[in-house]
Amino acid sequence: MKDRLMFQNAPHVRQSESVVTIMSGVLFALLPIYLMSLFYYGARSLVLGICGAFFCCAFSAIGSLLLHEKPVPDLTPIITGLIIPLLMPADIPYYVVISACAVAIFVVKLPFGGTGSNLFNPAAVGFASVAICWPELVFRYPATMQAIEIFGESTAKIAQSPAYSLSFGAVPDYNVLDMLLGSAPGPMGATNILVVAACGIFLIVKKAVNWITPVSFLVPYALLCLAFPRISCSSFDALCFELFSGTIIFGAFFMLTEPVTSPKRDFGKLLAGISSAIVVFLFRYFGEFEIGFASALIVMNVFSPVFDAVCENILHAFRHKDSIIATFKSDKVRKKLSDNQDIKAEEIKEEPVSEDEQEKNAEVIEEIDLSEKEESGEEAVQ
Amino acid sequence: MSFFVKGIFLEQKKEPMLTRSTLVMRQEFEYFDCDFPDTPVEELSAKQIIELARLAGIVDESDGKMLWEKLEKANSGECGTLIVDAIDDEPYISSQMSICIHQPEKLALGIELCEKALSPEKAYIAMYRHILDSNFGIPSKIGKYRVKKIGGRYPAESRVYRHIPKGKNSVIVGACAMLHLARAAEESRKMTSCFITVAGDVVKNPRNVEVPIGTTAEKILELCGLTEEPEAIILGGSMTGRAIFEPENETVGPTTRGVIALARSYGTYSYTCIGCGRCDHACPKALSVCAMRKFAEAGKLDMLQQYDVSMCIGCGACSYVCPSRIDVSATLLKAKKQIEIAKKEGTL
Repeated sequence: MKDRLMFQNAPHVRQSESVVTIMSGVLFALLPIYLMSLFYYGARSLVLGICGAFFCCAFSAIGSLLLHEKPVPDLTPIITGLIIPLLMPADIPYYVVISACAVAIFVVKLPFGGTGSNLFNPAAVGFASVAICWPELVFRYPATMQAIEIFGESTAKIAQSPAYSLSFGAVPDYNVLDMLLGSAPGPMGATNILVVAACGIFLIVKKAVNWITPVSFLVPYALLCLAFPRISCSSFDALCFELFSGTIIFGAFFMLTEPVTSPKRDFGKLLAGISSAIVVFLFRYFGEFEIGFASALIVMNVFSPVFDAVCENILHAFRHKDSIIATFKSDKVRKKLSDNQDIKAEEIKEEPVSEDEQEKNAEVIEEIDLSEKEESGEEAVQ
Repeated sequence: MSFFVKGIFLEQKKEPMLTRSTLVMRQEFEYFDCDFPDTPVEELSAKQIIELARLAGIVDESDGKMLWEKLEKANSGECGTLIVDAIDDEPYISSQMSICIHQPEKLALGIELCEKALSPEKAYIAMYRHILDSNFGIPSKIGKYRVKKIGGRYPAESRVYRHIPKGKNSVIVGACAMLHLARAAEESRKMTSCFITVAGDVVKNPRNVEVPIGTTAEKILELCGLTEEPEAIILGGSMTGRAIFEPENETVGPTTRGVIALARSYGTYSYTCIGCGRCDHACPKALSVCAMRKFAEAGKLDMLQQYDVSMCIGCGACSYVCPSRIDVSATLLKAKKQIEIAKKEGTL
């Protein structure tokens, strides 16, 4: 019996859910989106996805070799590599995807310490950097329902995306149903709103992502769009165009919810969701590019430690509420005392503080001591 | 506060232990002599009851203190509430609950004696009600004492302290100690045994046993039988106990709550923290566990103190929910100890 016994720290029972199950849930949720883009653009979309995933894995393996680390099995580069092509048009050249992956791994992830330590969302930075380098390629969308050549120069018909029309105040040529089903041109994975939303709900039900983040982002964003419409049509249509164009829904479920770069607590997530809705709206309202989500997300990632600190400060106050109240009370007494002293000092200069007041002060200090003792006693018993 | 504080739901796995009665290991009883041998149980005075607890050497299993010292301390002033702790919120552990279910008369007698000694304003029994995986009924009354059902998530034990009125000498005693007090009054028996849950996925007959103090873990496991070789044997609760390597040398004491044999240890599963924040939400004390673990690994004791690591109760909820299987709770407890040492040395 003795030989088999292993050391382990308490607790000795653990949740069955692990990082692998969470990540494979996300991978599973990305699959239908790839199938939809396969339906609309042909096999090139799948090849793009495989290319992105392969190069992200290869780059992180190279990185761990360079750092003389033992490569660990890790699913996060695959997810990054699968998300990057979904933000781009289906006829994007392969070198653009590969350079986005290289930026995501070599600039965002590895310098900060690999998985779990990155400051920014790798997919968002990768996409934003290639959008700055090749804007004419990244924002040129092919029309749907045509098979794009897998290799070589694309000869696909180009169409105007709803997000582009919105950016100069024109009403898009598509109706709401087109946009829901994804037959409007746009980024490869982000146009199939119904499928994306279903996958997002799957993730929420599976508890791979917290429901607060997408809800607290989408609801304020919709309200802002209602309050400041960019186009002149019925407010419902305008709202649908704003929400379903670009990468708003896809980003809300798959990019904003990235655990590493989002705040830890529900309240922090709520704050982050609301503020990123405002920033995304500003980027899209005043920005040059029709897709402001990725750049807005990078800006908001900077603030997630701030939201964490806000939560921690609130909770710190809650944990110490007894002592804070006690100090507040004693401050009041002290203030009273000092006020009295001033008056007395004016009236009779030599007389010290009366005995009653001294006793009062001592009582308050005793109270503080008692409350501290009670707290420590509780913990000892527990 | 409850908005932020969440805790965790645990599969309790208490069914086989609660449905069977307590198995008593054969033992020689020891008796004590007292100055009032012929006084009937009903006519004992407060002082005599405390003396009985002292002579019988009863140790409270909930905190390991001597019962008579606790009673004397509570008796010195006005006693507010007497809470009998029968909260078994850890999985498998059910020794206190099984006393409430299988020996209610003795327990009621013990509480009556304790009530007589302290004369508190009210007395009740606290039991954990969220045993979701078995439809086991919890009695609403034991003897004449109300059972207060503590609901909610693990850990429930710390929530009992919220019900205590402030400014009075309230006392929490364990259910096993009450049983021993009743035995001491009725039969003049010393406390030589303890109640232990033997459970786990490789135990043949999982049940609650009453064994003499000092029995080895190996012997207790032999008593209940094993179906296969265990990979982990745990002394104590499954959430807070410790893994042992030499079951033939490890003995059980009054505060040991269980001996658990598991087929598989959860193993080494090294994955970096992905910052999901589940530990923050699981913490019953609303600590920022995720940030504190990073500080603990970097050795920043001053920051840890600012984040109130000293409030950690070591319940293990953070380690339980961690999808990366990081030993968060162990890291924090170690840091807590380091801070205590640094404070003593005056370096912090």
